[in-house]
Amino acid sequence: MSAFLPTLRRLDRDLSVPLPDRVRILRELEFDLKALSGEFETRGMPAEEARARALDALVPDGATLRELDRLHVPHYRRLTRHFSPGRLRTIERSALVLATVAVLLAETLLLLRADWLRHASPFLWPVLGLGAFLFAAIAAQSFRLWIKHDHQDPAANFRTILLLSGLTLATGVFGVLADFFRLAGILEAEPGLAGSLLLEWLFGSCVLLSFSLLLALAGGLAWFIPAHWLALVSGARAELLGHPPVLRADIFANPLRPAEQTGRTPDPAPTHHPASLGEPS
Amino acid sequence: MSKPGTPGGQEFDAQGFARGIHELLVLAALREGPRHGYQIALDVEAHSNGVFRFRHGTLYPILHRMDAKGLIHGRWSSGKGRRKKVYSLTDGGRRHLSGEADRVQDIMSGLMRMLRRARKVPA
Repeated sequence: MSAFLPTLRRLDRDLSVPLPDRVRILRELEFDLKALSGEFETRGMPAEEARARALDALVPDGATLRELDRLHVPHYRRLTRHFSPGRLRTIERSALVLATVAVLLAETLLLLRADWLRHASPFLWPVLGLGAFLFAAIAAQSFRLWIKHDHQDPAANFRTILLLSGLTLATGVFGVLADFFRLAGILEAEPGLAGSLLLEWLFGSCVLLSFSLLLALAGGLAWFIPAHWLALVSGARAELLGHPPVLRADIFANPLRPAEQTGRTPDPAPTHHPASLGEPS
Repeated sequence: MSKPGTPGGQEFDAQGFARGIHELLVLAALREGPRHGYQIALDVEAHSNGVFRFRHGTLYPILHRMDAKGLIHGRWSSGKGRRKKVYSLTDGGRRHLSGEADRVQDIMSGLMRMLRRARKVPA
């Protein structure tokens, strides 16, 4: 176990910067602490004193942590600092609802103008409705992760995206099958209509399957890319802090709190010996 | 119009001056080549004979602010399985260093003149 682990864990708790920035700061500090104490040791300093001096020189105190927090605050928080949390939440939710409604309207207007819609399956509408909700879930998650830089508990939104993607695909497949059985019933009664109806069913099924597959694929990508990225960042954090490795599947639990998951108790804050960089040994 | 006693006719900002000194120290250390954070701290202390030294991690906000301002460039490199950050001087940082070095020299000359004058006046 690295001698600097307790310090890094304490800083991880005390820093309020977004997770990726926090990992970068801790990683930079970890390397510098090891290198500086190693440098002091090569100058003939005892290991414990070398570590104490490195800690004193490089580990941020309260004021420096606040300065780092201020420097790394996301632009979005800077811009919205005058709003109360409650009011901001209302504005964000309203914007999300408006965006979803706008997508739904745009979809409807676009489809109403299309000639081929006359031959489309009735199941296309629920697929498109689910697609609009999928868009809303993706937009909300992207907004949280990359604009708000809020990486706490992303699992619920990821599950929603996957669920909506699965539902969209399932609705599409179910629609194709239902349309097929409906067609089979009609053809049984009137075999003479086979030529035109079969072609119509084929066309409608292709449109329905294409939409549901495309939406499910978009949802899958919108889950995989951020989940993979978050797993990488969380994995780097876990490695730095000596926590068990984070698996991509952990995204469905809470990858940001591996210490709590393993029942680990937080480490006590280290005690620093007052010393300064380069004091004569 | 220049105000008397303010180099370059600008208002003297003591807090900004202190921050500017820290930035100049970092820029001067990086003029010799790319460095890791801890190396910058060691160089500043060694080259100033211990007059300037960074404590309590104060170096990092300075480095991150300068990186954001484009005066220095921090990049990650990998070696021996460890990722480490190396800082180097940018063209903007080089220009800033030469410009600010002249300004600091003016301020220090003004200060020294004041101190010499104070010494000559009998108590």
